[in-house]
Amino acid sequence: MDTLDTNNWLLTALVFAPLAGALLMVLIPEKEEEAQKQWAIFTSLVTLGLGVWLLFDFDYDQAGALQYFVDKDWIEVIGAGYTMGVDGMSLPLIALTVFVMPLVFIYSWNHIPNPGNAKAFLMLMLILETGMIGTFVAQDLILFFVFFEIVLLPMFFMIAVWGGEDRRYASLKFFLYTLFGSALMLLSFLALFFLTTDPATGEHTFNMLVLSENAGDGIVRSTQLLIFGGMFVGFGVKVPMFPFHTWLPDAHTQAPTQGSVILAAVLLKLGAYGFIRIAIPMLPEAAEAWAPWIGLLAVIGIIYGALGCLAQTDMKRLIAFSSVAHMGFVMLGISTLTDFGINAAIYGMVAHGLITGMLFFVAGAVKERYHTLEIDRLGGMLLQAPKLGWILGFTVMASLGLPGLAGFWGEFPAILSAYNPAAGLAEETFRGYMVVAAIGTVLAAGYLLWLLQRTAMGEPSEEFANDPEITDVTVIEWIAWTPFLVLILVFGIAPGLIFDITDPAVVESLRGCLETGCEAARTAAEAAGG
Amino acid sequence: MSVSATLATLAPFVAEGPSEISSVTRDANWFLTNAWIIPLIPAISFFIILFFGKRLPKKGAEVGIAAVGLAFILAIATGVSWMDHRDNFDGELSESPSVIAHGDDAHDESHADASDGEEPDTHEAAAHAEEGDSEEAHPYVAVQNSVPWFQSGGIEFSAGVLVDGLSVMMLFVVTLISLLVHVYSTDYVGGDRRYTHYFAFLSLFTASMLFFVLSDNILQMIVGWELVGVCSFALIGHWWEEKPNSDAALKAFLTNRVGDIGLLIGMITLFFAAGGGQTFDTLAINNAINQGGVSHTALVVAAACLMAAVASKSGQFVLHTWLPDAMAGPTPVSALIHAATMVVAGIFMVARLYPVFFEGMSIGGSSINLLSTIGAVTLVFAGLLAFVQTDIKKVLAYSTVSQLGYMAMALGVGAWGAAVFHLFTHAFFKANLFLGSGSVAHAVHSFDMKKDMGGMKKFMPNTYKTFIIGAVALAGVFPLAGFWSKDEILVGTGGWGFFGGTGGNGAYTFHLAMGMIGAALTAAYMTRCIYLTFHGEYRGNDHHDDHAHADDAHDADGAAAPAHAGESHDPHESGPRILWPLYILSGFSLVIGFVNLPPGFFESSKVLSFLPDGWEERFLHFVEPGGASYFPGIGHGTPSWSLAVVSSLIAFGGAGLAYRYYFVKVDGLAKATGQHLTEMPNGPVTTNKWARAGHTVLVEKYYLDHLYTGIIAGATKGPIARAVNWVNQNIIDGAVNTAGETAVMIGKGVYSKIDQGVIEGVVNGSGRISDATGEELRHINSGKVQNYAAIMFAGAALLAGAFIIILAL
Amino acid sequence: MFAVLVAAGGEFARPSIDWHAAAPELTLLAFGALITMMDIGWLERGRKATPAIASLALLATMIPIITLANDGVDRSMFGGAFVVDNYSLIMKAMFVLAGYVVVLLSTNYIAEGDYWENEYYGLLLSSILGMVLMASARDLITIFIALELLSIPAYMLATWRKRDLKSNEAGLKYYLMGVFASAVMLYGMSLLFGSTGSTLLTDINTAVSESAKPSAVVVLGIVFVVVGFAFKVSAFPFHTWAPDTYEGAPTPVTAFLSVASKAAGFVALMNIVFVGLLGRADVVEPLMWVLAAASMTVGNLIALRQTNIVRMLAYSGVAQAGYMLAPLAVVSDVPDTALGAIVTYLVIYAAMNLGAFGVVMAVARKTRSAEISDFRGLFHYAPGLTVAMTIFLFSLAGIPPLGGWFAKFRVMEALIDANNASGVVLGVVVAVNSVIALYYYARIGLSMWGDEAPDGDLTRVNVPASLIAAIGITGIVTIAFGLGLVVGDFTGLSLLPALAAGG
Repeated sequence: MDTLDTNNWLLTALVFAPLAGALLMVLIPEKEEEAQKQWAIFTSLVTLGLGVWLLFDFDYDQAGALQYFVDKDWIEVIGAGYTMGVDGMSLPLIALTVFVMPLVFIYSWNHIPNPGNAKAFLMLMLILETGMIGTFVAQDLILFFVFFEIVLLPMFFMIAVWGGEDRRYASLKFFLYTLFGSALMLLSFLALFFLTTDPATGEHTFNMLVLSENAGDGIVRSTQLLIFGGMFVGFGVKVPMFPFHTWLPDAHTQAPTQGSVILAAVLLKLGAYGFIRIAIPMLPEAAEAWAPWIGLLAVIGIIYGALGCLAQTDMKRLIAFSSVAHMGFVMLGISTLTDFGINAAIYGMVAHGLITGMLFFVAGAVKERYHTLEIDRLGGMLLQAPKLGWILGFTVMASLGLPGLAGFWGEFPAILSAYNPAAGLAEETFRGYMVVAAIGTVLAAGYLLWLLQRTAMGEPSEEFANDPEITDVTVIEWIAWTPFLVLILVFGIAPGLIFDITDPAVVESLRGCLETGCEAARTAAEAAGG
Repeated sequence: MSVSATLATLAPFVAEGPSEISSVTRDANWFLTNAWIIPLIPAISFFIILFFGKRLPKKGAEVGIAAVGLAFILAIATGVSWMDHRDNFDGELSESPSVIAHGDDAHDESHADASDGEEPDTHEAAAHAEEGDSEEAHPYVAVQNSVPWFQSGGIEFSAGVLVDGLSVMMLFVVTLISLLVHVYSTDYVGGDRRYTHYFAFLSLFTASMLFFVLSDNILQMIVGWELVGVCSFALIGHWWEEKPNSDAALKAFLTNRVGDIGLLIGMITLFFAAGGGQTFDTLAINNAINQGGVSHTALVVAAACLMAAVASKSGQFVLHTWLPDAMAGPTPVSALIHAATMVVAGIFMVARLYPVFFEGMSIGGSSINLLSTIGAVTLVFAGLLAFVQTDIKKVLAYSTVSQLGYMAMALGVGAWGAAVFHLFTHAFFKANLFLGSGSVAHAVHSFDMKKDMGGMKKFMPNTYKTFIIGAVALAGVFPLAGFWSKDEILVGTGGWGFFGGTGGNGAYTFHLAMGMIGAALTAAYMTRCIYLTFHGEYRGNDHHDDHAHADDAHDADGAAAPAHAGESHDPHESGPRILWPLYILSGFSLVIGFVNLPPGFFESSKVLSFLPDGWEERFLHFVEPGGASYFPGIGHGTPSWSLAVVSSLIAFGGAGLAYRYYFVKVDGLAKATGQHLTEMPNGPVTTNKWARAGHTVLVEKYYLDHLYTGIIAGATKGPIARAVNWVNQNIIDGAVNTAGETAVMIGKGVYSKIDQGVIEGVVNGSGRISDATGEELRHINSGKVQNYAAIMFAGAALLAGAFIIILAL
Repeated sequence: MFAVLVAAGGEFARPSIDWHAAAPELTLLAFGALITMMDIGWLERGRKATPAIASLALLATMIPIITLANDGVDRSMFGGAFVVDNYSLIMKAMFVLAGYVVVLLSTNYIAEGDYWENEYYGLLLSSILGMVLMASARDLITIFIALELLSIPAYMLATWRKRDLKSNEAGLKYYLMGVFASAVMLYGMSLLFGSTGSTLLTDINTAVSESAKPSAVVVLGIVFVVVGFAFKVSAFPFHTWAPDTYEGAPTPVTAFLSVASKAAGFVALMNIVFVGLLGRADVVEPLMWVLAAASMTVGNLIALRQTNIVRMLAYSGVAQAGYMLAPLAVVSDVPDTALGAIVTYLVIYAAMNLGAFGVVMAVARKTRSAEISDFRGLFHYAPGLTVAMTIFLFSLAGIPPLGGWFAKFRVMEALIDANNASGVVLGVVVAVNSVIALYYYARIGLSMWGDEAPDGDLTRVNVPASLIAAIGITGIVTIAFGLGLVVGDFTGLSLLPALAAGG
């Protein structure tokens, strides 16, 4: 994979702008909440600006190449480098991040959850942003790991401090679970480090580029499987894949609205991104061996998550469970190891980010107005807050994968790619997965529309029948939400906007697999067979 | 071409097989290449109405009407230019769409040679055109115009429009009916709470349907397919305040989703199997299939899966149950969506991807197959259900299901033209009937024929006339629209062979029989419906308090029905905005059948023999892509007078029986007793136990709803989901928590038992003692220290011992 | 050989003394003496000055260390019994700086509670002297002397709050256990001497590595010596004294014990293992494996249910000791990586642990207790301290970008680099343990940030400048290591050349 390093300062700026903002916010006195919020919004907008610059400056003809490539020494002692780069695979996710955060900050303008203390809250979110962007641009395993972990602390505190009733349990669970994964992941990284040598320097390296090029060459198959296993746990917990998902509903349900939105919009993508950026290109052979199992867990997740949703009585928890199902589609796409599937996966991530993020905004709005998320107590929202109700309806439609809206382009191609997975994977198995996944779409429609029916349709329950607090969408909310709604529609109509960017990069990243790993495996199988 | 080989042996009359070359062009009349504008207009109007509708003087209705009207005009223009194009095309053929669809890249070995294969053919095309084929001088050439959409896996995918007879026909039907429904609605749902949203969604629906029929690749078809689905969801659930309505909406959407499983899988199969793989392009796929380049298995799978989609969308038997419930929507919507246009999406898809079914179901040369049989079963079973309905809209709904069954059966037996023609005619008379029923309901604020109608003839004569025309057309009485299309279908079965009528693609005798029965049933239940609605005594006045139906409840609170203040009054004829659409539609129902007179009609008829044969089969000529590379070589049946006569007699028979029962017996008895009778008090249903049993089965709709809603959906929502949740909370999550708790427990154990040893209690004690005497202090410490020392020495000894044993000895 | 010859030949040849090499020790000695004299001289009057002088002493000690470092050549005295190389210099520097931080911590604490200050600082300095000496000790006798020199003052410091029952209890326990440990260790040493005929580690190494199979005596000797130091580093099952002592002793002393004296134990252990016993890796490695695995697991599990933060830190210290021992389990495969890992860990651990104790002291100034429950709602009245504590705790837990992760990373690196089953398995154990550990660290974080302050008392904590300085320094070091801004050339370290020279 070739690299371009024209004005590569951009990435550093992009990553650390929010952090700088967070540090500077220390100077703003405790009392001046207005100023703090303005500053936070400003910082995130600056970041967005840089992101937009990135979007325009990005050379789309070479989307397959790593651009703005930085490669400096960082911790020579352990051979960790300050290596960053962006290609078509990470660009959409970066864009998603820098785009979502300002909206979250704007939403926070009059939605600082209890117990207040806007300053700390906003600072944490800014640090979070740095972590997330960093994860997407890092091209060095250690750098990746550090950013990957940096995300944990702020989110932990957002849930632990500003969360709901059961926040202690939820936050600890989230933290321990993810740390458990990443600890094993780190072991895998190290193993990879010591088993690969950079042909250029003849030394071990954490450089993701080199590792992907090497594609697990010269590592014994059994070892590859183990290393991949470590990564699988690490990323799988973050995704989250069945059966590692149980932290998600609690975290989502307890987190403050902003937390849920960020969690759904970006954090869940880190895991899947890890799979397509690290696990698969670096260990294609192992990936091939693991793929059927990943696919299996993915489809289990789809059905399981959907059924889980049907059983939920709490709106927010239901949405959280739906994430399990949706990420199931993402993982199914990834598990096919085909360019089609992985494109779908990335599209699915962006779409899920926008849609589920939006759903959590709505859930937050409902909580704010009705002071409950008990589905049975809600109803008739379309009468009391029509616009809110219609937004819910729209988002629900997007979430169940209605064509013409973003969700479809993550879902359908993923199912499609399962029809013929990468060479060397059992077609029958994956076609089985395809059918199950297709059934999953029905269930998805089921629980989402049922939710819509029970919350938005019908007459409002007398409990809230004439509750003055139940107002329609406010201006701040419009400002924060409209971009979500518009993008959901735009991405639904013009899938090319994302596919065209990701495709070259994905094809590039799979080259390792297509050339060495899978090929080797196939020939081996043939040799064994004949 | 194995197919046409078999055909040659089997069918005496076989049209020339599909030509090897792709018959698609990009150079054509402006209207044809820019047909994409037609769906765009209502789409835009949707957003305008949604965002600004409320502020407009007519609350957005005018925008909708203007948009659809414009679309209608364009559709006509397109239609006209298509006719011209069809007969006088001599432009350049564009290269095969399968090549358009693919950029040059690694994936394209297969397509590379495909394109090599195609290049020379374009010249051949001209030659082919010169020598001409048996039928006419000009080959049938569709117009395709596509632009790049997105790329994945290094392949470019394009979006575009495909204009040929079929799509042009649909454009005309959809825009016309939609326009009439718009006008009708301004009166019917006038003053409704969500008047504006209603029109917004009518526009969106029109746009989606047009988008669907114009799409040139199966991916777009999926998109359009789902979009019409969601529109019907929104419109069925228009009055979502009442749970039954939202339930109906959900049911419709979910049932369609079930079918969509088949749709997705079938389309995916085609995507990979056909056209050298990895193409969505409809024509490329069809071409590939016709050139025999696709494995039969794949086609069987694809056809079977798509069949499920057709069953759900076009209400074929066992997935039809949503359609009658969908009558919860406003009547104009029922007319537009659930009779005339949307529900035929499934039929349209089969027609569009006909090679898939022709090969996959091996229609040619067999005498039974899934598609045709499901159609046949549907048309009879639904027909029977129509007899036990008291709700006029449900009668029409089941009749729709039954008619869709006809179309499916026709496609199944290879009578493509007949099916599409029936789709065409049915749209008019069914819309006519629905709007008519709406007009009645608007007057009596109910749909219940037995409770609130009867004798409407004298209150609303105009509605009555139009309704009669519609009903007669539906019943297939000569010379109204229904007759011609239904007759063609029966001919197409090719089952009439032994009476001279022959042809088709095989001897589908069973289906012919079912078709006959269906004809009788149709005539009969329409007679019943007419009697209950328009004849006998008006039964409405007694029940003003209970308005069973959502529909009237809502135009009751609307400004449209100020008269309806609860006090008794006689129903009155509807206004012009309701009547005129009825007039227009009944007009069409009268004459539209003549556009496709059977071949040889003029010679064989003594009277009209002076007329030119050129007037025969105009519809077929323009619509059926016979001889085009993307259409299979199907056989056409030869019409037979005997069949026409027999089927008409059967229809009359059915009508006659019903007439005798209702108009003579029931009516007579009613007059005699002066009661409001709707059934014979001692009819077979009350006396004969078998009849009663049958009746119950029908009333219970073959218990399908119990199965779906009660058992399947209920179980999934209830026990199953709860079980999964339980597992999640107690087993999967439980495992995690247990792990944590165990760790803490172990910690506790180690701490208290090993670490702090026996005298932990004393330690705690020592903390509390503030003025501890030296005695206590010595005791405490020494005790603890002994304990600690013990641990330490023991540890040392153990380690040493172990290591010596392992390593040194 | 030299020492033995001396012992054999009766007449005493005065060894040449490299004054520069000995400068750090001498400086400390001088200042220690000075402080003691002062007390005798002008009793009360000097008292205010002592902390200043103590810190001055430590900073002064840095000077020769730095010059030696710049000089760069490895120096060896007394026939290799006293060696100055990069490794020892780094450790010396660490001891001295840790000591300095401890002085900062002590200043107010000692001044405010009526304790004897001069003696306190005098003893502190002499204990540090012992540690500094330990860094250079390459001979059993030197090591033992250094050990006693650093221990005995520590015993006394532990009992410093002499009116407090617990403090006495703590000191007494610490003392008795220390004596037992020394006894065991001395026994082990004598066995080694007996079987190898030398006290010089290098000679011991050559001697023990001769036979293919270790003799029972050698094994016994090794085990007992290691046990002795296992006590110092409070590795399971020799940690029992730690919690009580930590809880009872004055908090600055606790900090000192938990960091400096633990580090000293490790230094001694490293000297012995790398210089003296590398040839017997077949004994040392499994021994260390067991100790490491047991310590980190048990330590963490017990720490889970502590209610007192000092005790919690004590047990977490046991676990941390486990992590630090881990590299020794693969010492023969990757000696230098292992050494680098341990040294890195020691330095970072010193920073973050001292910091944590600093915050504990600061908070205790208000709450007068070290119960975890008293940290509830800290964020609401002392955000600064809360952030600091959060940093230290999560650094201890090993969350990037805080120092702890780097330390733990180095350990894992060594384990994986060894590229053998035992290494990888131990690596997994470390991974799992770091999750367990996170639980109790995070729990404190939770109650600091999430809970309401007990009985809504939001009066600020007044934190003296010295304490702020201590917390600031340690905090900066912690983060700096975490971001990889400073890592030192800890991997340049190696004790192997010394081995070659000795042989």
